[in-house]
Amino acid sequence: MLSFQNTKCECGHQNPVGTVLCESCGKPLEEAEAASTAPLEMRYDGAARRSQKTNPSIIDRVWNFFSSVKIAVWLIVITLIASMIGTIFTQESAFISFDPDTYYEEKYGWIGKLYYELGFSHTYETWWFTTLIVMIATSLVVCSLDRVLPLYKALSKQQVRKHVQFLKRQRTVYEGAVVGDAEEWVAEVEQQLKRKRYKVKREGTALLAEKNRFSRWGPYINHIGLIVFLLAVLLRSVPGWAMDSYLAIREGETLQIPETNYYLKNEKFTLDYYADDELPDELKGIPRPKLYQTDAILYECTADCDDPLKEPVLEEVSQHGIIVNDPMAYGGLKIYQFGYDDTPKLAAVKPVLVDKTTGKTYGPFELSMRNPQLNYELGPYTLELHSKYLDFAMDEKGEPRTKSDEPNAPAFIFMLKGPGLAEDGEPYMYFPRQIDKEKFSQDAINGDLANRFEIKVPSMEGVTFAGTVSTLNIRTEMAMPYIWTGTAIWIFGVFLGSYWHHRRIWLRIDEGRVLLGAHTNKNFHGMRADVASVLKKTGIDVEPKSLDNGGNRA
Amino acid sequence: MGKYRKTTQIVILIGVLLLGGYAIGKALFASDDGGLPKIGEKPPEFALLGEDQEAHKLSDYEGKALVINFWGTFCPPCVIETPEFQRQYEKWTSMGKPFEIIGINLGEDSLTVRNFVQQYGLTYEMLYDKGRKIMAKYGVESFPTTFFVKPDGTIMDIFVGGMTEEDIDKRVTKLLQS
Amino acid sequence: MNSSLLTFSSDAYLVAFFLYCLGFISYGITIAGARYTKRDPKAYMKRWGRISYVISLLGFVSHVAFFFTRWIGGGHIPTSNMYEFISFLAMMIMLAFVVVHAIYRKAVIGLFTLPLIVIIVAYSMVFPQEVQPLIPALQSYWLKIHVTTAALGEAFFAVGFATALLQLLRVVDFREKSPRARRSQRWVEIVMIVGVIMIGYLVSVFGFRAAGYEAVFVQENVTITDAGVDNTETDEVVYSLPPIFKPFNSQVQEIDSFIGLKDGVFETPHWMKGVDAARKLNTIIWSIIAGLVVYAIIRLILRKPIGAVLHPFTRGIDPDDLDEISYRTIAIGYPLFTLGALVFAMIWAYEAWSRFWGWDPKEVWALITWLYYTAYLHLRLSRGWHGEKSAWLAVIGFIVVMFTLVGVNLVLVGLHSYAGV
Repeated sequence: MLSFQNTKCECGHQNPVGTVLCESCGKPLEEAEAASTAPLEMRYDGAARRSQKTNPSIIDRVWNFFSSVKIAVWLIVITLIASMIGTIFTQESAFISFDPDTYYEEKYGWIGKLYYELGFSHTYETWWFTTLIVMIATSLVVCSLDRVLPLYKALSKQQVRKHVQFLKRQRTVYEGAVVGDAEEWVAEVEQQLKRKRYKVKREGTALLAEKNRFSRWGPYINHIGLIVFLLAVLLRSVPGWAMDSYLAIREGETLQIPETNYYLKNEKFTLDYYADDELPDELKGIPRPKLYQTDAILYECTADCDDPLKEPVLEEVSQHGIIVNDPMAYGGLKIYQFGYDDTPKLAAVKPVLVDKTTGKTYGPFELSMRNPQLNYELGPYTLELHSKYLDFAMDEKGEPRTKSDEPNAPAFIFMLKGPGLAEDGEPYMYFPRQIDKEKFSQDAINGDLANRFEIKVPSMEGVTFAGTVSTLNIRTEMAMPYIWTGTAIWIFGVFLGSYWHHRRIWLRIDEGRVLLGAHTNKNFHGMRADVASVLKKTGIDVEPKSLDNGGNRA
Repeated sequence: MGKYRKTTQIVILIGVLLLGGYAIGKALFASDDGGLPKIGEKPPEFALLGEDQEAHKLSDYEGKALVINFWGTFCPPCVIETPEFQRQYEKWTSMGKPFEIIGINLGEDSLTVRNFVQQYGLTYEMLYDKGRKIMAKYGVESFPTTFFVKPDGTIMDIFVGGMTEEDIDKRVTKLLQS
Repeated sequence: MNSSLLTFSSDAYLVAFFLYCLGFISYGITIAGARYTKRDPKAYMKRWGRISYVISLLGFVSHVAFFFTRWIGGGHIPTSNMYEFISFLAMMIMLAFVVVHAIYRKAVIGLFTLPLIVIIVAYSMVFPQEVQPLIPALQSYWLKIHVTTAALGEAFFAVGFATALLQLLRVVDFREKSPRARRSQRWVEIVMIVGVIMIGYLVSVFGFRAAGYEAVFVQENVTITDAGVDNTETDEVVYSLPPIFKPFNSQVQEIDSFIGLKDGVFETPHWMKGVDAARKLNTIIWSIIAGLVVYAIIRLILRKPIGAVLHPFTRGIDPDDLDEISYRTIAIGYPLFTLGALVFAMIWAYEAWSRFWGWDPKEVWALITWLYYTAYLHLRLSRGWHGEKSAWLAVIGFIVVMFTLVGVNLVLVGLHSYAGV
């Protein structure tokens, strides 16, 4: 199609290669196009797209590839299908800890295994998905650049008097006799068009009216927004720009936020359920959470931060009741409510030592699970803490060990010293929880000593439980302002391009007959209504639909 | 505009190649081992309280072949591998090699750690990682995890899971050769 | 919670439903009557078109009354579960219809939009209808902004779909025998059948609900824990439709009588995990059977494909008008959808879940929908896809929209699983 083309128009204008309609008068240039009578192809106003060239080099070929809307649509469709496949099974990123090597096969069988092995279990992080996005981004840049510049040029140097063929082959056309004096009638049309907020240019009895040209830039603006957005997403990979960590803090505890100088305290965690009278009958009695809130205090370390011999010096910088839709924000950090664990865990007990022979009790003494004191003076007796196991169990060799570092089944071994006991003390094993005491047969372990002494908690008042653990998600997203900027430009462009319509009306009078052609990039219905209304006000009554020249081209 | 056209095209395509290549490369070489430091890098610096109530810094061990072992008494494979480390420690130090083992305990109290040290007769350095800060800094997610650091201060190997004496011996031999 | 207000609200919803039904019938009279009337068809159409529009508008007013009274009575915007959302979507479709009607004033748009609204309103009633107080994740003003904007965008896509379907009925020639025409005829008929299956689904659900039918199955699941201990869990599931497919390895606990059925006819294959999957499969099979039965009856009465019967009624309409209306409607919906389902969604996700994008299935499907309509617009504006091609794209697009809205919640799992299904 590009091999032969006479690019000089009969009006004398020299057009670039690839031009469809003469840049100056609008006459169709291609032979086939000129011979037809169907409505014109008005895309980019018939200007040559930048990439069309007679003798393409390799760079031109690459450029042309990305400049093609057909390719762009294919890229969109492939991305769409890949995204669909990625939703078939749960993605790896949805789990906090699991083994993908076995999970997909166990849960979904051979098809799950195949899914995992082909990399679809992390579709959106694969190199090929990223490649698709990169190609779409390239296409956005190249397509836009190739079209916006010629379009801009074409629209900024428009001729008022257009070729008869150009007018006759618009989608909205009116031909008829002039009412009264031609000059006066055109002046009246101009007035009417101005009333409809058209910008009007006149050359004698030829007229060009135009409005909302800016809407033509909408698509390009939204493409720019998308590019800014994608670049901002890329920025997230700059070290330090995006941080994502989780902190599980028990009520009353203060923990350092990893890799920062900040410490976070969980003052109080609140979990509220809806009361029955707030619930409809169908849901009464079913717990329905109303509020998860962590009252948190953020500290900054001001001194002794890395000295293991000293406690860090903390200074409060922020306080916030963190709830699900309201994170704490401070200096680029955002702290979100993520989860909680309110399984009751022992924090401390206050047991007494009972001398079974005399019936006397000594104590109570405070026995903390996490950081117990090592010596307890109880009347004539001394308890020396020898060892402790937070989650007591026996290993294969029959040695005591701890299964975890959570106080699920705490056990303590004391050396009991005092009158009537061996010099070095005698070992006494103590399980604070009654259930463990029975399970591991405390009395049998302690043997004869169990008949003489007992360590026990006299009442429930002597038991304190650790507070709820609140899991908080700590984030830094330095790229966020750029991401929102890109998003704003994008959505602005989308609205601009969609809700305003570029409308143009050309008119010329030859030998007492009006020839009017009108073009819009979309909403021909509105275009025809505009033309019909102007004609009507200037004395020509036409049905809007009758202006339709057929040919559904946009 | 025409004469700048070629330049524009080249500039844009190079930009795409650089930025796009970076994005794709990142996806292609994303590590699956989470946040662990890379082999050949220097491990992050730390300062921790030792069993001897002194502060110990990573930089104190510069110039020595170093094994850093993250462990806890609550983790059975850690308990099983400890005697193996002790035997290795005795073997190499008795030969006068510039070699150290650091056991970093994951947030347990001194009573628990001291009892354990006594029970197994451990003589290598024991440090307390209160609040598991250093564990987070090292990106350790499962225990035990052991780092082998060359005398020049770079990581030679990272081993996740319990080790046998043979496993350790092979690596320490290589460490001392470097 | 204000229960008298909520009762009024449900009544208003029912009134809206019946008015929409009436509106649909009236639109049917408008179009069919214009063909058979002996007087001036244009005047006839104008008069009846106006009557139909007023009836539909009254339905809309009643629907809006439902919405606001439920909002006041329940204490939060009723868009927080499946029942409320689907009903809101129907209201937005009606709003989109009002907007499009104001621009184009074509009665025929109503002929296809109203039945769509009727089906969607009926579908909303399948779900539990009580007001559920908001869980913490939903307690945000973004619930109002994100959900409403997204639904409005989707509603325009729905009207675009209805118009495109009408356009297909108009342009596909049902008398032609060429392979291409036959293919188009077949596909139009398939779309009709899908619509009838949807009706079959509603008929069976409400039929058995009215009869109070219930069957209960218990499934035993034996799993072996890491410690090597057998762990037996029992799951119970209540079927509200007679069990053609019962859950794998399950026992009847209780079953109402239905043509002598004492147990499930078939057992769900073992790879369909869980009792809910079995229940959903049973519902789908029921809908297809009921739908096909209804379809068979229709075919017996009409003795022609549905498409071929409807086609003559569309003859008076300019297909180019339909093409433009369908495209325009989608072009109006596209920015709203982009704003509501992507932009506002990202902002809310950043506030509530700490990340603006997380590849959650619902998010991905919103993106898929957006990519789909982006492709539609590019094909139309830059590649010149018009007429039948473009109409098919609009029809398929609505299937994508419905999957995003309903399918994701029913089939896939993810963070958007608030809805009690």
